[in-house]
Amino acid sequence: MSDPIAELRNASVGYHRGTPVLHDVSLRIEQGESVGLIGETGSGKTTIARTLLGLTKIVGGEVTVGGRDIARLRGRSLRSFRRDGVVQYVFQDPLRSLDPDIPVGDSVAEGLDVRGRIDRRVRSARIDETLRAVGLDPALASRLPGDLSGGQRQRVAIARALILEPRLLILDEPVSALDAANRVHVLDLLRLSSTERSFAKLFISHDLGSVAGVTDRVVVVYHGRIVEDGPTHQVIADPQHPYTRLLIESAPTLDAAGADRARRAQLREVVAQSGP
Amino acid sequence: MNAPAPLLEIAGLRVSSSSAALVRGVDLSVHRGESVGIVGESGSGKSLTCRAALGIVPSALHVSADRLVFDGQDLATLGERQWRSVRGSRISAVFQDPASYLNPSLTVGRQLAEVLRVKLGRRRAAARRDVVDLLDSLGLRDPARVATRYPHELSGGMLQRVLIALAIVERPDLLIADEPTTALDATVQAEVLDVLADLRRAHGLALLFVSHDLAVVAQVCERIVVMRHGLVVEEGRTADVLAAPSHPYTRSLLEAHREYGLDRLRAPEVVHV
Amino acid sequence: MTVLPSTRLVLRSASARAAAGILIVVALLAVLGPVLAPHDPLAQNTATILQGPSAEHWLGTDALGRDVLSRLLAGSPVSLAAALLAVAVGLVLGVVPGLLSVYLGRAFEWVSLRLMDTLIALPFLVFAIAMTALLGNGVLQAMVAVGILISPAFYRVTRAAALTVARSQYVEAATLVGASTPWIVSRHVWRHVLPAVAVTTAGVTGASLVIVSSLTFLGIGVVPPDPTWGGLLATDLQYLYQRPWGPVAPALLIVATVWALNALADALRDAQTARSNRAVADHDDADSVPADASYPPASSPSPVTSPEVVR
Repeated sequence: MSDPIAELRNASVGYHRGTPVLHDVSLRIEQGESVGLIGETGSGKTTIARTLLGLTKIVGGEVTVGGRDIARLRGRSLRSFRRDGVVQYVFQDPLRSLDPDIPVGDSVAEGLDVRGRIDRRVRSARIDETLRAVGLDPALASRLPGDLSGGQRQRVAIARALILEPRLLILDEPVSALDAANRVHVLDLLRLSSTERSFAKLFISHDLGSVAGVTDRVVVVYHGRIVEDGPTHQVIADPQHPYTRLLIESAPTLDAAGADRARRAQLREVVAQSGP
Repeated sequence: MNAPAPLLEIAGLRVSSSSAALVRGVDLSVHRGESVGIVGESGSGKSLTCRAALGIVPSALHVSADRLVFDGQDLATLGERQWRSVRGSRISAVFQDPASYLNPSLTVGRQLAEVLRVKLGRRRAAARRDVVDLLDSLGLRDPARVATRYPHELSGGMLQRVLIALAIVERPDLLIADEPTTALDATVQAEVLDVLADLRRAHGLALLFVSHDLAVVAQVCERIVVMRHGLVVEEGRTADVLAAPSHPYTRSLLEAHREYGLDRLRAPEVVHV
Repeated sequence: MTVLPSTRLVLRSASARAAAGILIVVALLAVLGPVLAPHDPLAQNTATILQGPSAEHWLGTDALGRDVLSRLLAGSPVSLAAALLAVAVGLVLGVVPGLLSVYLGRAFEWVSLRLMDTLIALPFLVFAIAMTALLGNGVLQAMVAVGILISPAFYRVTRAAALTVARSQYVEAATLVGASTPWIVSRHVWRHVLPAVAVTTAGVTGASLVIVSSLTFLGIGVVPPDPTWGGLLATDLQYLYQRPWGPVAPALLIVATVWALNALADALRDAQTARSNRAVADHDDADSVPADASYPPASSPSPVTSPEVVR
């Protein structure tokens, strides 16, 4: 078996009001795999992402990305690692993650610009190519984020991440702020681009339903621990942990017969008992 | 199930700004005890339609309607003073971001008690007891403790239930909920929706529920109204609309959910992404 | 890349346009003043002392027979340059530490904050007088002193803007692609700091002019017989009975200029607010409340903006 693109081994992250934010978390993401990381607010899912990005320091265990132990990286070595662009991140809110006074083309190319001087034509070509790859007209490169629609901005955010050709793309609630049509477009886009470039994807979400259609594997986080980890269809068909079961029962489905309130209430009790 | 005359009747509703027509002739009705869902994206006019039924459309916008009637009373001609006797006691509402509708410097219990005293004339001690009962009826664990909390100490789901409590305190006939669960986690959303369903059963509350999520509306509502660009493009009983959507937009919403929702996993093949 | 709002937006209101007009006139005075003066501002003529306005001397003459108009015109560049010098000193001494305090770590931050707090506590005139006593009576010394005392205003504004930027998501995004701190400052921070600094500059220049005038009124900073606006206010005080209209012209000039600078600062700030409100409104869909009402963004877990209890 080849090396994973990213791995957490028994990772723990500090305390927040008495409870560990992450407790003894182990997670492997294989090359080219599509993984969903599901959890509620405060469960630790965002912390896991930030750990993989080197934004949050772990206090125990190891975190490896692209074969490198990133817990050891500091300052210049960390910057150098980031410039290599092995792992990239798409923020949840494209409105706030793009500098409002900078044309989107420059924001997209920022990863290229920090590496040093780059030939103007090459830069332009890369920007155009990447914008096209996410389904945007290259002419939008000169516009400000405020001039674009929400769906377009989200694509710009994805373009910014893809331009560095990462081997792991982490997306934080990529479609929760989008309406139905844009949601489909963006998810289609992500589905398509990975067949061309084959990079691993980590989708972070509180909603199992939104990532179920695009992931091979699903990992469920609850109170800083991983409570479920397995192939998507298997987890949904046969969940092991009561919280996973609650998640599945909670997802609104089109056939209202699937919803059973009594069972949900029961599951909530079980989950509340199992606790952190 | 349907009473002869609808509780809320909207016909030919138009809302426009100086530069655009935002709602372009909407017909909508809700019968007593019925739950009706409005599905639409941002820009569809769904929120403005609800605001028209509450008399809180921003003053910069122009509102007109052929009929805007609630339980026989013409809403279009109501002055602000008259609206105050309708809002809360007859028609009530909850919105998307619960925290911004509560005073951050008062405990939740105090704000609820204030409403009970002012609107229902309860005395102080009785109001305090009623607050705890009210919170309990909304499924909040340890309601006495919740009442002593400030808004920033409570989670989104709890806050939303507090707001629902505020909204139903006077036993209104109609509750308008505009994206009440959109900002909540999936499990919490289910809880709040369950609470709404319980309330409807317990009090015969009519519900006008707005969301961009077709599945949520489908789960909660007996009838669906699909809006797009300021117009109603489809409406009917939920089961009928889902089984046989006539408008392409409705069909695209269904497709989107089937493609990327949990239902897909019922299908045998799994898409490799 | 429009870091500052467009001229049209800034000059939207009548007061902004009036202010701009006044400042243009003042600027012309500063540049062309001495050239336009009909008489030698230093030429004394005991025969024509304390005269009222006449065809020869539009604003009359002072106690030494000097043409007041010429003195006013000649004094313009001095007063204005002095005010601007103080602002320039304050700007450099305030903006640079302000930026550095965000990026150089706790120690520097603490020291610079305390230093600024101390400076704010010092009274302007007393400090300026002390500085001239220390370093000699001259415009340069006095204005440097004033500049030092003005710097906290720039420091605070710069620091506040830089902190907001430093904590923003787009800066975090830049960090994630490997941007260094200098890169972030030169690419993101300065363009969000500049608008605030521009507003502060306009306002502080007005204050600086008042201080210059006060100092020269007291005879500090500029050695007579060189004319300045403040000095002109002061001269002939003992002859106020004979020449009551004396202080009017210099006072008017000072007040008008200061008012215009403050009005410009307000207009700049209003334009910036209008621009950012419009940017937020453009993101809204037709469903949301339009731009003239405050809009809490739904996606962020933001604190309460307006307490309204839904009943």
